[in-house]
Amino acid sequence: MQIYVCVKHVPDTAAKITVKAPNQIEEAITFIMNPYDENAIEEAVRIKKRRGDAEVIAVTLGKPAAENTLRSALAMGADRGILILTEDPPDSLVTARALTVAIEQDGTPDIIFTGKESIDNAGFQTMYRLAAALDMTVVSNVAAFALEGKRVVVECQMEGGARGVIELSLPCVIGAGKGLNKPSYPTLPAIMQARRKEVKRIALDSLRIEKPSARADILELKPAVEARRAQQLKGSAEEVVRQLIRILREEARVIE
Amino acid sequence: MNPKYDAIIIGAGVIGSPIAYELAQMGYQTLNIDKLAGPGAGSTAASCAIVRAHYSTEDGVAMAYEGFKYWLDWENYLGHVKDEKGLAKFMNTGSILLKSQGHDWRKVKKHYDAVGVKYEEWDNQKINAMVPVYDLHEYWPVKRPEDPAFFHEPTQMLAGALFCPEGGYVNDPELSVHNIMRATETKGGQFIFNATVVEVRSQDKQVLGVTLQDGTRIDAPVVVNAAGPHSFKINQMAAGVWEGCNIKTKALRHEVMHCPSPEGYDYLNKGYHTSDGDVGIYYRPEVGNMFLIGSEDPECDPQEWVDPDEFYAGQGGLGRDNQLTEAQWKAQCYRLARRIPTLPIPNQPKGVCDLYDCSDDWIPIYDKSDLKGFYMAIGTSGNQYKNAPVVGAMMAELIDACEKGLDHDQQPLQFKLRNIGRSFNVGFFSRKRAINYASSFSVNG
Amino acid sequence: MEKVGILIEVKADQIKKANYGVITAARGRDRQLYAFLLDGGRADHKLTLGRYGIHKIIEIAGQEGPLEWNPATWAQAVIEAMEYFGIRTLLGLTSSQGKDLLPRIAARLDAPLVMDCIHLNLAEHTVRKPQYSGKTIATLKVQGGHCIYGVRPNAIAAQPAPCEAETVIYRTAPAPAGLTVKAIKQAMSAGVDLSEAEIIIAGGRGMENGENFKILFECAALMGAAVGASRAAVDADWVPYAMQVGQTGVTVSPKVYIACGISGSVQHFAGMKTAGLIVAINQDLTAAIIGKCDYAIVADLFEIVPRLTRKLQALDGRI
Repeated sequence: MQIYVCVKHVPDTAAKITVKAPNQIEEAITFIMNPYDENAIEEAVRIKKRRGDAEVIAVTLGKPAAENTLRSALAMGADRGILILTEDPPDSLVTARALTVAIEQDGTPDIIFTGKESIDNAGFQTMYRLAAALDMTVVSNVAAFALEGKRVVVECQMEGGARGVIELSLPCVIGAGKGLNKPSYPTLPAIMQARRKEVKRIALDSLRIEKPSARADILELKPAVEARRAQQLKGSAEEVVRQLIRILREEARVIE
Repeated sequence: MNPKYDAIIIGAGVIGSPIAYELAQMGYQTLNIDKLAGPGAGSTAASCAIVRAHYSTEDGVAMAYEGFKYWLDWENYLGHVKDEKGLAKFMNTGSILLKSQGHDWRKVKKHYDAVGVKYEEWDNQKINAMVPVYDLHEYWPVKRPEDPAFFHEPTQMLAGALFCPEGGYVNDPELSVHNIMRATETKGGQFIFNATVVEVRSQDKQVLGVTLQDGTRIDAPVVVNAAGPHSFKINQMAAGVWEGCNIKTKALRHEVMHCPSPEGYDYLNKGYHTSDGDVGIYYRPEVGNMFLIGSEDPECDPQEWVDPDEFYAGQGGLGRDNQLTEAQWKAQCYRLARRIPTLPIPNQPKGVCDLYDCSDDWIPIYDKSDLKGFYMAIGTSGNQYKNAPVVGAMMAELIDACEKGLDHDQQPLQFKLRNIGRSFNVGFFSRKRAINYASSFSVNG
Repeated sequence: MEKVGILIEVKADQIKKANYGVITAARGRDRQLYAFLLDGGRADHKLTLGRYGIHKIIEIAGQEGPLEWNPATWAQAVIEAMEYFGIRTLLGLTSSQGKDLLPRIAARLDAPLVMDCIHLNLAEHTVRKPQYSGKTIATLKVQGGHCIYGVRPNAIAAQPAPCEAETVIYRTAPAPAGLTVKAIKQAMSAGVDLSEAEIIIAGGRGMENGENFKILFECAALMGAAVGASRAAVDADWVPYAMQVGQTGVTVSPKVYIACGISGSVQHFAGMKTAGLIVAINQDLTAAIIGKCDYAIVADLFEIVPRLTRKLQALDGRI
């Protein structure tokens, strides 16, 4: 079976984000694999280890530097990678089309894993678009995954900690949530091996994807203003709590 | 009338606070001024707080060994003060110095013998019995992962280690300074925070006091520069001081990584602090069963000298601000992974990035200055945390002696180490010294 | 007259309050607002929805009764209703349910979708949303035959604009979805949902252990608050992952966020920085959160929180 895992090269959660051009950020910062994609890779590799007959292919779309994230995926156990190269990362509609075409040209997916969201743009939609384009079923925010034959049973995180138990069949698209597993990180020998694994590079233009009529463009990026001015509540514990009650009641109006 | 103190200490980190503590005990009315919100909140908080005895000079070893005795007897040092935050703990893991080409361990051994530091010689078999996860191949010279040679297979083995049963780390360096602050307060010492010194005032070559950013003027006949990475800026504020130093200080950017321990190995409770010159790093346990990995500043690594204010504001840009870089994350983790092949390496860097207040020869300046009443405890170069209580006692004695007329430049103070009973020429740390080429020129001191 | 659809979320037969902000954002001149409900018509929401300016309530149902929860069939049913009523713009919440329905609908329609909007201008087709974990705000322009928007819960304040709402029942028989919902496992403690709570009281490393979270739950119960946690508390296994607020947890926008013993890492702020008011209770004056909140209480949380609970009980007439 073939398992594709879509991963994304994103700024480190701790990185300082500076807006450069009107809709671009300064990219001389530390980038990492999107954290939820680590869960996606981990689950794919676990399936491979259990079944033995699976091939895990990591796919990404991005600038040449995104190869670092592909290498991380390979070090975590993916067999090979596909890097769709573009200098100008497109919106979700085009991204999903590009991933779809690249996967279709490469093989026959039984499962496509993605992270449940990317922490840079937080679009929450690529997995659904992939499924629609490939006519597969899709579930996201998956916290438990089981595969028996062609049958897949997942648990999806719902509000308030509830979980929906959902059955679907292969082929399907799975959006991995944090609770799905605990990623096991690669050792140096695995990282060294990953340096020798195959990465197929494809220019986005060469995929000749059908241009969508719809689009979502970023017109402008602005740094978020942190306008809070901390005021310290002083006095005894009793006095402090009295002030807090007043704030909750009169300022925030959340208690009667 | 400006408020007046006997001594102002600029900085309330792990160096400034013990100086105040000792001066206060001698009857000085002290004031520590810090630009941050609390004691030890600056580069002290990011310190690896390692307590180990190996230094490249005999005096260095003696001072570190003296420092160890303080940490061992922390409550007593603090006069059994109550701190509402609790006390910092010294974790005596024991300290391994791998015998490698990266350390002049023969010299260290000689110093250990001279000072009386307890140690054992371990062969590789013994090391592996104590630390089964270490692979003891030799990887020298230190390289970066960008260099293909980094991945070459080793052929030689290391030749054992020196093991000091006395050594380890302090679990919460910031808290340790809070402890000292509380102890100082019981002796009458005062602290102010969120206060930035913008001027060191003087007249006729005698220091008068300082001026804060908000215009407040505070007077004192004694002003001590313990400003850590900001030390060179403070020195430049004081008339003739910076110019009068033969040894200068600068702020050096430094990254420390936290990498999880291999599955099934309880590094937190069973591991040792290890100095591994063969791959240019040192490591110690960290909460969460992590390896804390510091760099021994190998020559192949870049050195970024930065402006401390820009750095802390995060304005320096990649590799110049206070954020970890992927390249250095890989360099330090991969180096440890050569020693521990089963080490799992996360994709996301984790750790701390802060500054060393680095001197030209990586040996501190503990001295008076060319301005009367102005003293310096600076240039700690990332390796003086362990010595801080000793520095406090030594600086207080130096200040008191100079204020009473000692010409320290002509007749350097001889300081007696209280615990190990050895005397020590404080002139070793003089600002006027020539660069000390016996130094390792690294964090090893 | 432009028709705008709003996917309404219902919990225990009640309209979730966060919907009213979405309706407020959808209103505009020459616009007719359609509320899509899939709750099986168990309660009449004409008055409540009418108060915020809904013109038509579309009760979407199956041929023989309510449509059981199934994200694929629900999405299909909404698409059919949109076609039937000629609706090309759809809004909903960026909630757990919204994150499962809106992208399904957008994908099937090949329509642009922006989730987590904090500001909308439907006339201009522009929206603003936080990106890079809230460190930047992006302005996006969408173009397409259909446009779908997810609004961050509580990010847009609700303002009433009463009108007369009319209820229409729309019956459909969506095709088999390819996925079957076998069961819904309820969480152990069914409290207030984090992402929609008006008040959140959250604990971090300073809670010291899982047992101590009890004091937060006691306090929360009296305020109708949800209890959250920092990653440190979740990583230490004190509380389940579902309670994690932050970059890799839930993103919240309550009116009040009370952080207890939380240092306030960048990653934690990413999940709660759009809260109306942030109160930090932390013993450590140098904790990052102390400088980045609205009100700081530098004290032992174990002194403050139980006192707050007692005061709230007294207000509640229980003492």
